[in-house]
Amino acid sequence: MVIRPYGYALWERLQSWLDAALKEHGVQNAYFPQLIPMSFFEREAEHVEGFAPELAIVTRGGGKELEEPLALRPTSETIINSMFAKWVQSHRDLPMRLNQWANVHRWEMRTRPFVRTLEFLWQEGHTAHATPEEARAEAMAMLEVYREFAVTQAAMPVIAGRKSRIEQFAGANATFTIEAMMRDGRALQAGTTHDLGDNFSRAFGTQFSDAGGRLRHAHQASFGMSTRMVGGVVMSHGDDTGLRLPPRMAPLQVVLVPVAARGAAAAAVLAAVDAALVALRATGVRAQADVGTEKSPGWKFSHWEMKGVPLRIEIGPRDVASGTCAIARRDRPGKEGKEFGVPLAPELLVQEVLKRLDEVQAELLERATRFRDEHILDVSSHSQFLEVIEQGKWARGWWAGSDEQEVALKEESGATLRCFPLEQPGGGGTCFLTGKPADQVALFAKAY
Amino acid sequence: MPLHAGEPTPQADAAPAPKGKAKPAGKKQKETKLGMRATKDGDFSEWYSQVVIESEMISHYDVSGCYILRPWAYAIWDEIKNWFDAEIKKLGVQNAYFPLFITEEALTTEKDHVEGFAAEVAWVTKSGSSDLDRPLAIRPTSETVMYPFYRDWIRSHRDLPLRLNQWTNVVRWEFKHPTPFIRSREFLWQEGHTAFATRGEADAEVHTILDLYAAIYQDLLAVPVVRGVKSSKEKFAGALYTTTVEAFIPHTGRGIQGGTSHCLGQNFSKMFNIEFETEDGTRAHAWQNSWGFTTRSIGVMIMTHGDDRGVVIPPRVCAVQVVLIPIPSTKLGEEARAAMAARAAEIEAALKTAGLRVRVDDRDNYTPGWKYNYWELRGVPLRLELGPKDMEAGVAMLARRDTGAKESVAWADVAARVPQLLDTIQSDMLAKAKATLDTCIEQVTTWEGFMAALERKHAVLAPWCDEESVEEDVKRRSAGKDGENKDAREATMGAKTLCIPLEQPELPEGTMCFASGKPAKNWALWGRSY
Repeated sequence: MVIRPYGYALWERLQSWLDAALKEHGVQNAYFPQLIPMSFFEREAEHVEGFAPELAIVTRGGGKELEEPLALRPTSETIINSMFAKWVQSHRDLPMRLNQWANVHRWEMRTRPFVRTLEFLWQEGHTAHATPEEARAEAMAMLEVYREFAVTQAAMPVIAGRKSRIEQFAGANATFTIEAMMRDGRALQAGTTHDLGDNFSRAFGTQFSDAGGRLRHAHQASFGMSTRMVGGVVMSHGDDTGLRLPPRMAPLQVVLVPVAARGAAAAAVLAAVDAALVALRATGVRAQADVGTEKSPGWKFSHWEMKGVPLRIEIGPRDVASGTCAIARRDRPGKEGKEFGVPLAPELLVQEVLKRLDEVQAELLERATRFRDEHILDVSSHSQFLEVIEQGKWARGWWAGSDEQEVALKEESGATLRCFPLEQPGGGGTCFLTGKPADQVALFAKAY
Repeated sequence: MPLHAGEPTPQADAAPAPKGKAKPAGKKQKETKLGMRATKDGDFSEWYSQVVIESEMISHYDVSGCYILRPWAYAIWDEIKNWFDAEIKKLGVQNAYFPLFITEEALTTEKDHVEGFAAEVAWVTKSGSSDLDRPLAIRPTSETVMYPFYRDWIRSHRDLPLRLNQWTNVVRWEFKHPTPFIRSREFLWQEGHTAFATRGEADAEVHTILDLYAAIYQDLLAVPVVRGVKSSKEKFAGALYTTTVEAFIPHTGRGIQGGTSHCLGQNFSKMFNIEFETEDGTRAHAWQNSWGFTTRSIGVMIMTHGDDRGVVIPPRVCAVQVVLIPIPSTKLGEEARAAMAARAAEIEAALKTAGLRVRVDDRDNYTPGWKYNYWELRGVPLRLELGPKDMEAGVAMLARRDTGAKESVAWADVAARVPQLLDTIQSDMLAKAKATLDTCIEQVTTWEGFMAALERKHAVLAPWCDEESVEEDVKRRSAGKDGENKDAREATMGAKTLCIPLEQPELPEGTMCFASGKPAKNWALWGRSY
């Protein structure tokens, strides 16, 4: 998949927010090699089983057969762990928190742009701690960072929760996720964190001497968010006209389009457009003016709507005369989204724009939240479950089924257990499938 | 307690203790010689191997020629990246991402290009346990990945200029002696690929980018470089011409290519059918550039500034610009200790407000001497000491990493003095390196002068006839006999043109080529090289 500048700019916004959050949390960026000796994979049994079929393997380099085949990283636990084993010696070395921004390869059977691709970009954080509690706390803390990003920047009302045993990361004690609902009702796993326990430290020999001088195995966590999230932003908010981007993520937040700027009026209109553009950019608004004469205003309106630009400001000769302009909001279609008589004076216009950007952001989140809530139904029987899934919605129910029963449900309905939400109703209930007592509610859905 | 983010973690014991035995709690690490054993003048290549490891910039890895960039090194790449990325965005370049894989078909589209890179390509031949029908190459550079898309995206002059860049990793499966940062099988870089309607625009951009590369070296890394054009023998495989920034490593007497900005002309657009409709309705091939800058630059920085106590990093790019070391002597009472800690915190806050990257090293299990050694090894530009006497006098002691010079500064003046001093350190480091470089470039006009200068481990500015066959001849003639050991071989390898400097000395009429005796066309910078 080629990520063109517009899509890549979305990724860059995610990167810059997340990178700052990671740094604040005490994580340092590093870079580990992409090529991993096959023997590394074999060190953690579950891990190799999970990833072996998906590996891209290099066997020739520089015209010669390689002594040992090398895999392209599908994820870097094995290399990073081999280094943790060397770098972690004493309790004073802990916690150790590393991250890398990199590309990974997983030979997927069915691909979909951004969401599931052979190659994708991501960040993968890997941490080592002295105790199991800290490793778990780390996984939870990073989950909260991801959740905050999704909700406040991408306007995606994700549900944070824990994966079932069969869905968790190969080699983890527990996997946590933020699940997003796309406009077609399908689930998208938008970010994942893992409590790896001491599985990898035992496999790789990562030990430290504690304050009392005893040798102990480190406890670890890992966490990742990828370009799949860009797909999530697109699929959460888009409509039939095209993209609708939340202002905080949008590479371009405001486009200015001159209308009827012909003849004598042209100069004045263009001057007004320019003044507005300069003022907006000075406050940090990502704004652009589309002043080319090749395309009609109508064409431009459609073009920028398709690109999901949150606000469009229209300025014509009459606007210049009256000192006003029109602002059209991408999140509200048609006449409802267009407001006339907005003050054109730069200082005032800037305030109006900033206000509306916040409103668009809030409204996209609110709509997505309403949509989500309308599409999650509680189920208390197997047949109800099937019905809800058939309708393209998510089923929420008390769950005490076995791994096999979970697999069977998937084969039958196409829905997977997305997570056990962190927010539980409490008390207890009856498993909708088995009728046995259940202490947790689970969310099921068809997913990307 | 762990260190703050951005700090490397120290080895817990100065001398590696056998596993299972830790120092008893409360016992301080005495000052021991951490890390460096070789000297820069004594054994440069051993010195370099040690310094990159001891400063925690690099870790070795199980695959030969691949290295791990640890946070201390990666932070430098981040600084370079942030600066350069902002600059090219100002020019209107946009970032994108193209796949790592190249099909065999695409790779072989531009004949010269594939000749230049084919030998170094790594091939993916399997997915899981099954063989691929057709193997896939891992990008050694992305011209052949990107340009088929450029063909689709460029139809009319209105689609131009197209200016894209990507920050990625590339793999070149070389068998030459690998050296951390300098030569590795995988490295990080940026590669810009641009297309224009006219040659003039392409030429202009080639030089704009070259100037940015020179600025990264000179202004960020404090490394002086020579800007020039590559000879036809040395230019990029498939380019019309290549411009370069060349650095020089005095200890080995070798030049090193620091970054390249190529004008591809229409070579690739003709091969890939990147055609557009011009303003007057005719069809033309696009004029293209490509330009790349890599993590090699960090190695050049280390080689230029490092000394026998470790790496020395210029303030602009160092993850930690000032390390604050409070020195609570054991005689101090609790109140005095608290006052010292409070003062250190105040100074830290003031420096952070001034926009500086500061760390306080208040670890209680290491002596001050050990800490000085620790941070010197890592090349932190400035150390601020706060001892009992300083507390009494209301001052802090500043110590420069580059010169060792110390000065005492009153607390009220610290926030103003430190940024000033860092600026001075930055410019002093460049000035010193520039002065050294100037002594390493000799201007000669004869073969004897040329060989003598090479003997002195210098680069040579000599007039030549600009012919490829002559350059090949110079390389042969200037090579010594094969030495038994690697270092001897390196010392006698043949010299090549590093570049034809943009800044040319005057070339009086009738000047002859120092090697062929034919009329000289320009002055070229020659040398042994990495």
